[in-house]
Amino acid sequence: MPNPIKLFYMSVWRNLLTMTRYKANFFFEMLGSFLFGFGMLIFAMAFDTNMLGNLVGSTNYVAFIILGISYQSWQNTALWGSAGMFQGELSSGQIDYTFSCPFSRYWYITGNIAASALQSTIFFTPMFCVALYFTSSTLTPLGVFLGLAATMVSVAAIAHLGAIFASLVLKYRQTTAIFSFFNFAFQMLTGMFVPFQLLPAVLQVAGYALPITFGMDLLRYYVMGTRSIMPVEYEWVGLFLQLIILSVIAKLTVMYLERSAKEEGLHYL
Amino acid sequence: METPVTCEDLVKVYNGKKKVTALDHLSLNVKEGEVFGLLGPNGAGKTTLVRIFTTLLKSTSGHAEVGGFDVDKQENKVREIIGYAGQDSERSAYWRLSVRENLQYFAYALRDVPYKVSKERAEEIAEGVGFTDRLDRHFIALSGGEKQLVIVMRAIIHNPQVCFLDEPSKSLDPVTGHRVRNYLKKYAADHGMTLVITTHNMLEAEEVCDRLALVDHGVIKFVGTSPEFKRRVTVKETLEIGTNNISKELEASLSALPGVTNLVHEQSVRLYCDDSFSILTDVVDLLKRSGLKAPVRMVEPSLEDAFTFFVQNGDKEVKPNA
Repeated sequence: MPNPIKLFYMSVWRNLLTMTRYKANFFFEMLGSFLFGFGMLIFAMAFDTNMLGNLVGSTNYVAFIILGISYQSWQNTALWGSAGMFQGELSSGQIDYTFSCPFSRYWYITGNIAASALQSTIFFTPMFCVALYFTSSTLTPLGVFLGLAATMVSVAAIAHLGAIFASLVLKYRQTTAIFSFFNFAFQMLTGMFVPFQLLPAVLQVAGYALPITFGMDLLRYYVMGTRSIMPVEYEWVGLFLQLIILSVIAKLTVMYLERSAKEEGLHYL
Repeated sequence: METPVTCEDLVKVYNGKKKVTALDHLSLNVKEGEVFGLLGPNGAGKTTLVRIFTTLLKSTSGHAEVGGFDVDKQENKVREIIGYAGQDSERSAYWRLSVRENLQYFAYALRDVPYKVSKERAEEIAEGVGFTDRLDRHFIALSGGEKQLVIVMRAIIHNPQVCFLDEPSKSLDPVTGHRVRNYLKKYAADHGMTLVITTHNMLEAEEVCDRLALVDHGVIKFVGTSPEFKRRVTVKETLEIGTNNISKELEASLSALPGVTNLVHEQSVRLYCDDSFSILTDVVDLLKRSGLKAPVRMVEPSLEDAFTFFVQNGDKEVKPNA
């Protein structure tokens, strides 16, 4: 049976081949990352920095929002990358072939997510560097390291949430509207673009259940020096707990939904 | 293993708005190393059967094994020894990768073939099917038939013990189709691979299949060799009139001749009868009287005749096993 590392390595190989083969597109994708970061400068001017300062302990809205967007490019890949891959495989009929192969579906999904996340890093890096530039007054090497570590743990946890969504594709096939709904809900619930502290208490509770919230909060805490939503130790524990719980749920869900999808067939009916 | 592909009392019911029974207590045994054809009209249950054998679909009841492994309980064991090319799968590879890259990706990443071996196998198979010159072309740049050929190549790149091909030569031109059929037949013989093919292409079935099964409404109506099938189903003799342009009146007169049981009017006119020799002069007379000049000959029924006859007449005309 193919091992997970091989699945990951070959997915990276496949993605990089595909991506770099179309050079103009590749160049503009990179350029877009910078453009997005700088575009946020204009967007940031419309905000009341005093309010931000009171809420999160930093008035640096530029860095606040750019870090949110940088994080989002990883989070998007982790959350929706494999679901998109399955939808593509369903419509091309490739899913029949891949699912007749002897590998763990769980590793296939997570391996592909990891490969896509690595690919996203190429686009994440320029934007992240722009954010770092704007946080130069609060930045320390340890801060960058811990911020990135928190991001990686949370992205790993989100990837398992992504695996759950991917396996939903096997069962429900047409899921675009479901994913749009959750995508927006997650962005709102986790303080990606507006401070988490602004959310009503009920929504904050829902936000705590998502690894995106802690991941992004810790990233901003370490890089920008914002106030964290709760003590950072708790947030780290929360993140690791979410990683463990979501990985167990993802494994079970993938197994269950593949069996369930096999009742009617994996292809589009 | 004597019968690497076997099923017993297999039932598959699709639970949609309306329940559809795709397989109805179907039993089948495919012998080791044989090329086995699954024939049948559209919606007969052939693809459903293949999907169950390839672990893509769960049966409602019954039991199926591939290579001695239960397709439900030991699905990964089954997947390790099978190859598969699905129906309408000519889009099912990475469009922006070359044929070589695609084959290597699927062999190495998903089938655990060592990287170097996967490279050699891609070249070896491409040579066998006459595809070497297109190995470095992007998948997207291939024609529909070429894409289908890549999918067939992918199905055997890891040298499976049992290979299932669902309508493999559907989009291939006759020359390529013939070459691929010959290659697959030789490949199966050389590697001891058991090959199960579903097809509507009677030429393909006749050319490559050691045995075939006729499936209709989820039930196997016949299992045997092509000559046995023809003998069993076309109990009638066939007289062919080399024209496709006869009047309704003439068609009625021909059908009314004594001993004629069926008339098929397609590219030519075929009369199925008990004794073609005894009606030959009557047929010629009728053609003369209608002023039609067309060759008349007694023909050996083809597999296609047998299939058409079977589909049109069902069990009614089938005599007991010869």
